Amino acid sequence: MSCNPYMPMPAKLENVVQETANIKTFLVRPEKPLVFKAGQFIALTVPGIGEAPFTPSSSPSISEKIEITIMRVGRVTEKLHALKPGADLAIRGPLGQPYPLEKYHGQEVLIVGGGVGLAPLRALLFALFEDMGKYKKIFVRYGAKTPADIVYRQAVEAGWGRKEMDVVITVDKRDAGWSGNEGVVTKILAPDKLKCNPKEGVAVVCGPPIMMKFATLELLHLGFAPENIYLSMEKNMSCGIGKCGHCRLGPFYACKDGPVFSFDRIKNLQKIWD
Amino acid sequence: MYKLEKTNLDDFLRTVSKDREVYALEQAGSQYHLIRSDAWQAGKHTLGAFRPVEPLKALVFHPRDLLGSLGDTAPGADIPERIVIGAKNCDVSALKIHDYVFLNTAPVDPAYKEAREKTIIVSCDCTDACEVCFCPAVREQPYPKAGFDINLSPTDRGYVVEAGSERGRQLLEKAGKMLSAADAAILKERDQNRQKLLEKVCAQTEKMGLTCGADLRQAVEKSQGKKIWDDFAEDCVECGACNLICCTCHCFLLADGRGKNNATSRVRQWDSCLYKNFATVAGGANPRRHRAERLHNRFDKKFSFFPEVLGCYACDGCGRCVEACTGKIDIRKVLKRAVNEL
Ligand SMILES: Cc1cc2nc3c(=O)[nH]c(=O)nc-3n(C[C@H](O)[C@H](O)[C@H](O)COP(=O)(O)OP(=O)(O)OC[C@H]3O[C@@H](n4cnc5c(N)ncnc54)[C@H](O)[C@@H]3O)c2cc1C
Ligand code: SF4
Ligand code: SF4
Ligand code: FES
Repeated sequence: MSCNPYMPMPAKLENVVQETANIKTFLVRPEKPLVFKAGQFIALTVPGIGEAPFTPSSSPSISEKIEITIMRVGRVTEKLHALKPGADLAIRGPLGQPYPLEKYHGQEVLIVGGGVGLAPLRALLFALFEDMGKYKKIFVRYGAKTPADIVYRQAVEAGWGRKEMDVVITVDKRDAGWSGNEGVVTKILAPDKLKCNPKEGVAVVCGPPIMMKFATLELLHLGFAPENIYLSMEKNMSCGIGKCGHCRLGPFYACKDGPVFSFDRIKNLQKIWD
Repeated sequence: MYKLEKTNLDDFLRTVSKDREVYALEQAGSQYHLIRSDAWQAGKHTLGAFRPVEPLKALVFHPRDLLGSLGDTAPGADIPERIVIGAKNCDVSALKIHDYVFLNTAPVDPAYKEAREKTIIVSCDCTDACEVCFCPAVREQPYPKAGFDINLSPTDRGYVVEAGSERGRQLLEKAGKMLSAADAAILKERDQNRQKLLEKVCAQTEKMGLTCGADLRQAVEKSQGKKIWDDFAEDCVECGACNLICCTCHCFLLADGRGKNNATSRVRQWDSCLYKNFATVAGGANPRRHRAERLHNRFDKKFSFFPEVLGCYACDGCGRCVEACTGKIDIRKVLKRAVNEL
């Protein structure tokens, strides 16, 4: 079984944390440790229902159990959200290429997240924390629909308890209790809100396609080089290993060559934001 | 290179196919079908003048494969040792696409590997072409240059027999008594036959307006977003026949279900990029919402992606999609227009 790359290994759901109304974090224990690097993803199977791709949101240095933060949007995620701890799952991975962390050494790292897109970025953050001395500074710019849609809210608002972090949050639409920023995430990328040096920085973006598009335009405008902007291209996927053809993006397969691409590799392709 | 007397063909084929499941061609009207049987049967089976209706890929990349059950350690269904007799160049050449996808880029697909290893390919030069054949337009020719274990070239003087692999050579040893060294005359006749048919297929392709040797990659890449795709897509009913019948199309879908004893199972089945939701993501966003975009994508994969990653078109000019298309979309006319609009 393990030699069949389409078949997952059994896993147990150990715990579920409600993050927002439609997002939960699932603590999954694979039968055998599943070693992954930040940026790589896995395919999670609900037995008899189907499989869908997700990026672990927990630290890549822990492989015995993996956290996965999942938004309820359709068939498989609907079933996942209905599961209770103890449920049987199955998991396949790691899939795809990791963030090229060595290229970030000595740089300022700007992390731009939208909605549930902060989930994969959390695994990246944990990886950066392990080697904090190697990076100049870490900025996080995060946008959610409303204050109630902010994932990992306590940790985000506390900057993960790390003083060297520069975290700014915005919501599209404020509520009565919100005194922070209002507006889309590009607003908090404006130079007065972001004192970073694009010449010595890399930007890592993950979120809905429309958000990634405008964030990328803004980052280019700020002076980030296309090769220093890293985007998560979440295409329709089936096999996750470059065989089924579903995730093709020009000359690439998003599952095998990505899901993270530096903008210079894909900027000339058609319709990358759809 | 060997010579086989015509009268020895049946003995030869029975010898090389001994103890193997046989896939051979049977004629039905003006067409051939690729059909499974226990042994080569003289009279019933034929080497065929051109390719059969069914694509060869189906033998190694099955339309539907049970990949396994969750928690099940047993490998998939056993594939018997088999031999295909009479495969034509378009089908043989198409296997390089599947080899690239399933064997030569990691990870290896175990079911494909097993099927490929257990399938001996005895190919045969085409001696005629169907109306829809256009292999010279996609840098192919109506006889195989590689990819076969044994190739047969029919001539008036008998068959030229060529081994294309180590296992082909070993099989020929078993039939050694029937073979003699090919002489200059039979080789010359083979080359003349090949050249004559190549010219015929080229002529019928050019009669359709498609120039053999035109740069199809550039034509397809430059045509993106243009009206050509709207015009042709108007006739597409999204049946997927073009993909399924195509000897090179390799896309598939993994699907899960519950089988016997409520055991969960996963199958891999052929998919079609013309289907509306082939690239749809959660939430409903679809990078190829319009049929025209999906039709262009089919051509883009064949004439841009594969030239980029593998250095060849993923179309071998078999013309099957021309015959199969519900909307009567003719790939030759599509390519012709793309080239003309360059
Ligand atoms: C690399 C990657 C990482 C991701 N990481 C995360 C993450 O960390 N967190 C997160 O919340 N989301 C993540 N996503 C998105 C997540 O994969 C989707 O939300 C998930 O696939 C939705 O599955 P669904 O079945 O619930 O949704 P649906 O909308 O039901 O289905 C999604 C896709 O599957 C197809 N589909 C639906 N039903 C069937 C069927 N019966 N047979 C075949 N196809 C069908 C649809 O056409 C659609 O393309 C990631 C996606 C990718 C590609
Ligand atoms: S695209 Fe059409 S002509 Fe080309 S290989 Fe496929 S079925 Fe044959
Ligand atoms: S065979 Fe013709 S009608 Fe059917 S999906 Fe292909 S192009 Fe469309
Ligand atoms: S998901 Fe199958 S090729 Fe990428």
